[in-house]
Amino acid sequence: MTSAASPAFSGKWDGSVVRVAAVGDIHLSPDCRGLLRPSFETLPLCADLLLLAGDLTRHGTVPEAQVVAEEVRDLGVPVVAVLGNHDYHSGQEADVTGVLTEAGVTVLEGDHVILPVAGGTVGVAGAKGFCGGFAGRSAGEFGEREMKEFVRAAHRAAEGLHRALTEVSADGCAARIALTHFAPVPDTLAGEPVELYPFLGSYLLAEAIDEAGADLAVHGHAHLGTEHGMTAGGVRVRNVAQPVIGRAFALYHLPLAARTPDAGQTSDRT
Amino acid sequence: MNGGESEYRIARFRDRLAREDVAELGVRVEVRGEAILLTGTLPTAGRRDEILRLAGAELAGIPVRADLLVACADPPDRPEDLS
Repeated sequence: MTSAASPAFSGKWDGSVVRVAAVGDIHLSPDCRGLLRPSFETLPLCADLLLLAGDLTRHGTVPEAQVVAEEVRDLGVPVVAVLGNHDYHSGQEADVTGVLTEAGVTVLEGDHVILPVAGGTVGVAGAKGFCGGFAGRSAGEFGEREMKEFVRAAHRAAEGLHRALTEVSADGCAARIALTHFAPVPDTLAGEPVELYPFLGSYLLAEAIDEAGADLAVHGHAHLGTEHGMTAGGVRVRNVAQPVIGRAFALYHLPLAARTPDAGQTSDRT
Repeated sequence: MNGGESEYRIARFRDRLAREDVAELGVRVEVRGEAILLTGTLPTAGRRDEILRLAGAELAGIPVRADLLVACADPPDRPEDLS
């Protein structure tokens, strides 16, 4: 397991940071046109990239995706997104992805993107994720076909995230971010009814994050949850659902570490 | 308000919120004494009004109290330092 300790505490941080803006669950539709654009236009002044943590639309239709596309087109910072469950609702997720991609958004599902920033590179590994619950209180792959398929979907989502994070670590990125829609930990669900936790996230995502290594995990989905959490391995988790952060986006200054391009190991930058 | 009947009506209202045309899963619906309390945050005032109209129609006869917020679309005033 890769150490999740902050570079600031491992003695290999030179003070450089990547400025990460992030928001999820904006649920846009044609009645919201232009709602977030004025705030997003301030991003070049304060951020190096914008992460969109899924549920970008209300019903997952092409007209709704076009509204999202116009909110984020030509912002002057890279925009990286995963889709959420709402974006799948109409069965048009491929078209939604296409509309966003045409607007310059990198849409991730089980893959990653490496972005150059001042002082190094930042790698974003993304997957929508799925539900299923948290350690000790999760669904098992047993019984009816429907139940087994439900649990297998959670495993496939986590495997995609693990694969993408492993690729980011192999590239030696100075900052590694896991971007999902569903929650990897229950910490950031506090405020949601406990009975709903199994439908809000999966511990398999946190396991992937801790095994493959990351410096920050960003998710959405839990509107009534809280912003701050941490995986068992010590990776900071942030729930950026817009109702939670109460702003157009949240802003994080994430330290850039010097790493060798293999298993994400840190090394002195001299 | 009959306890058993209201429980099913509230459940149906929750299902209605989650259905295709509304697709609003972020509103919490709870029984508070004789009334029903709606809480949550919506992207626009129009969406909030839509939820209130729906509650009036689906929960007719039950007092509805709402504390529904409209999401703030302003940029943050400061970053969080993760060092």
